Amino acid sequence: MELIISLTINGLATGMLIFLLAAGVTLIFGLMDVLNFAHGGLFVWGAYTGIFAYAFTESFTIGIIIALLTGAILGFITEKLIITPVYGNHVQQILITLGLMIVLSECIKVVFGPNGIPVSVPPLLAGSWEVGNIIIIKYRIFIIVIGFIIYGLFHYILTRTKIGLIVRAGVMNKEMVQALGINIKRVFLYVFMFGAALAGLGGVLMAPYSGVIYAEMGMEYAILGFIVVVIGGMGSYSGTLLAAILVGLAGSFMAYYVPYLSLAVNMIIMVIVLVFRPQGLFTVAKG
Amino acid sequence: MKKQTLFTTSNVVLCMIAITLIIIPFVSDSRTMIILLTQIFIFGILAMSYDILLGYTGIVSFGHAMFFGIGAYSSAIILNLYESTMMIFILSIVFGMVLSAVLSFFVGLLTLRLKSHYYAMLTLAISGLLLVVAEKWRTITKGNDGFTFRAPEIFRDRMMFYLFVLACLIITFMFFKRFVSSPLGRVLIAVRENEQRTASLGYKTLHYKVIASVLAGVVASVAGSLYAVSLRFVNTSVMSMDITLDALLMTIIGGVGTLIGPLIGATVIEFAQHYLSGLARDYPIFERWIIIFGIIYILAVIFFPRGIAGTLGNKYAQWKMKRSEAKTSKTYSGLESSMVDKRGDLK
Amino acid sequence: MTTLLQLKDVHTHIGQYHILQGININIVENEVNVLLGRNGAGKTTTLKTIMGLTPSSKGSIHLHGQDITKRMTYEIASMGIGYVPEDQGVFSDLTVEENLRVAMRKEDETTLKKQDYVLDLFPDLKTFWKKAGGKLSGGQKQMLAMARAFVNDSEMLLIDEPSKGLAPIVVEKVMEAINEMKKTTTIVLVEQNFLMASRIGDNFTIIDDGKTVHHGAMSALVDDNQLKQKYLGIG
Repeated sequence: MELIISLTINGLATGMLIFLLAAGVTLIFGLMDVLNFAHGGLFVWGAYTGIFAYAFTESFTIGIIIALLTGAILGFITEKLIITPVYGNHVQQILITLGLMIVLSECIKVVFGPNGIPVSVPPLLAGSWEVGNIIIIKYRIFIIVIGFIIYGLFHYILTRTKIGLIVRAGVMNKEMVQALGINIKRVFLYVFMFGAALAGLGGVLMAPYSGVIYAEMGMEYAILGFIVVVIGGMGSYSGTLLAAILVGLAGSFMAYYVPYLSLAVNMIIMVIVLVFRPQGLFTVAKG
Repeated sequence: MKKQTLFTTSNVVLCMIAITLIIIPFVSDSRTMIILLTQIFIFGILAMSYDILLGYTGIVSFGHAMFFGIGAYSSAIILNLYESTMMIFILSIVFGMVLSAVLSFFVGLLTLRLKSHYYAMLTLAISGLLLVVAEKWRTITKGNDGFTFRAPEIFRDRMMFYLFVLACLIITFMFFKRFVSSPLGRVLIAVRENEQRTASLGYKTLHYKVIASVLAGVVASVAGSLYAVSLRFVNTSVMSMDITLDALLMTIIGGVGTLIGPLIGATVIEFAQHYLSGLARDYPIFERWIIIFGIIYILAVIFFPRGIAGTLGNKYAQWKMKRSEAKTSKTYSGLESSMVDKRGDLK
Repeated sequence: MTTLLQLKDVHTHIGQYHILQGININIVENEVNVLLGRNGAGKTTTLKTIMGLTPSSKGSIHLHGQDITKRMTYEIASMGIGYVPEDQGVFSDLTVEENLRVAMRKEDETTLKKQDYVLDLFPDLKTFWKKAGGKLSGGQKQMLAMARAFVNDSEMLLIDEPSKGLAPIVVEKVMEAINEMKKTTTIVLVEQNFLMASRIGDNFTIIDDGKTVHHGAMSALVDDNQLKQKYLGIG
């Protein structure tokens, strides 16, 4: 029983981190029809700048803020310089975002060195609680809580605010939103920056969880993120959450019981979804 | 029926290049040069296969390395298990081709009917998966450490191997040239230009895209087999993202959709890799040269989508047009025609 | 009779197709200006070009004397032009309330008063306030689309084939609404339904093969059977 709970918490935590990365991807895709292959680069840069800020100031909060800022700034630059010039051309856009991903990953090595950097959990969040026989690691619960808060934030913004309304309308019919006098390109930028900031947040939160940060983790998590986006449905933030939890749990349980299948199981789910329900498991049809 | 001229300018130039390449090993002493050129040929084959997908059919694949890797491992493992003869080598190449064909067929069938983004993501994920498989299946692949093996006797002589690979390159190039101007090739180009319109003309675009995918995968596999033998060593790097990126960079920078472009790209990038790595030993700043290539690549996608070959090709075509326009205006402008003879010289 | 909007020799290309080949129109203030013509003549493209959704390749468009030819769609819309496209453009997953809310540029007293006025004009919308746009009937969608375009202080509304696919009794309602809106707003109406067009139109412009070929008062057109036969295939 303790094992099941431990694996579940593990899986939920990983799932939440993937959600933070995938949420940006799916929102950007739903609204702008742009698949950002560079999102993993935002994730890893958030991790590095956040952790260095944390090491420098001894405050994890500042680390988180720096990570968010890094994500937003890089997101701004990406949208303006990389995405806008090739807007509308899928092939160019796929190619160019991958190029950016490479540059971002390599720049990590230039700025921070090619070796992995060990990270420890901030003291306030370190340690665990004992509930009966079960040991619950505090940091993992922290991640899960943050994940749900972000999801709640998403939900609130999209359903209650004017800008959220505009985004939802834009996903359904960009032209009409423009014809109603709203500068949809500006909205694209904000959404992109928001998604990028989330990725940065995911990165800095992931660092103490996995204990080490390294340049390649951007691409590794990006792949998981894409799997989640496909399974959950492109453009659906709820679908992304559910899919992320599914992928996190599947990975966690598989890693324990059938280790060599753990990466494969998520791939297999993705393939099954693509064959039988390519719009994703949890989507609502687009208007 | 239009008569196909065999002796067009481009064909003559290509022949001359081919002959030069064939002669090189006989005149040059440099072992490094031979080896470098062999690598260029191998990656040239890989890049051409990538161009069939991207340049001619408009499909973006991020998993091309998996076919390269399958070819490499097939040859390495089979040559290791059995005698290293030419016969076995050829068989191993064929084996790799079959595996790649099957894999690319199923992957293609699965996702080519969806948006281009899905194919890109899926190929990325699958090749990532195969990389992990290669790392974990140590019994067969020896994981990250890899293993060495014996190449066929005849290839002990670097020159023989060079000529063999060059032959493969020339055959592949001629095959692809034929292919893209064939009716089948034309349909692929039509799919790239406007898939919807092609489909509405009655073509089952999925079939054609899968054919392109299989063809590209099979040729990539051949390149992989050659690569493994060139090093007499194989490890998980043959499955890595770097290989796909190499193919991508070479094709884009060299020029998509031109066949000669990927070869130019392969030459440029392999030479650059060679010399920059050399420089990196003395000046560490060059260690991250790939960033420069990444930036060039991004600029190319935005500003020079036709790459080196394409841009040069455009300039050449423009220049030709200007020349013929000048001739035309000279010949047909009223007064001047009486003062100027047919060749444009004053009477 | 002031000219609110002026199109001079407007050409539009869509890809390689030369759709508009010379459109000249003067839209008269506070009237219902009808654009008539056969299928594929270029009426919808004309509206889209005015809105900037398909940019023109040649010619000029002036609103109140200001050149809006190269402006972006959202700029043109916020200058006071409302657009009701052929497919209504209703956001299907959003409720009626939300559809209107997206349209409202300012959520102040004036706009809320306007919303009340609009809802009086289209009472059905009040009934289906919380219903998803996609679940509305054809007529209700049309009402919603028009309400949306009208709720801001628009001085001009471009309406594309509002009667298409609607039952005659619903068409009546649409006409009533347009007649009411015409009091405060200038209307540019594209209509295939000549009966409707002739009843509420004040002036007409005929577009054929991408060119404006004729214009004048609606009353004159109704009696001109030759013209009707030639360009509209009726009468």
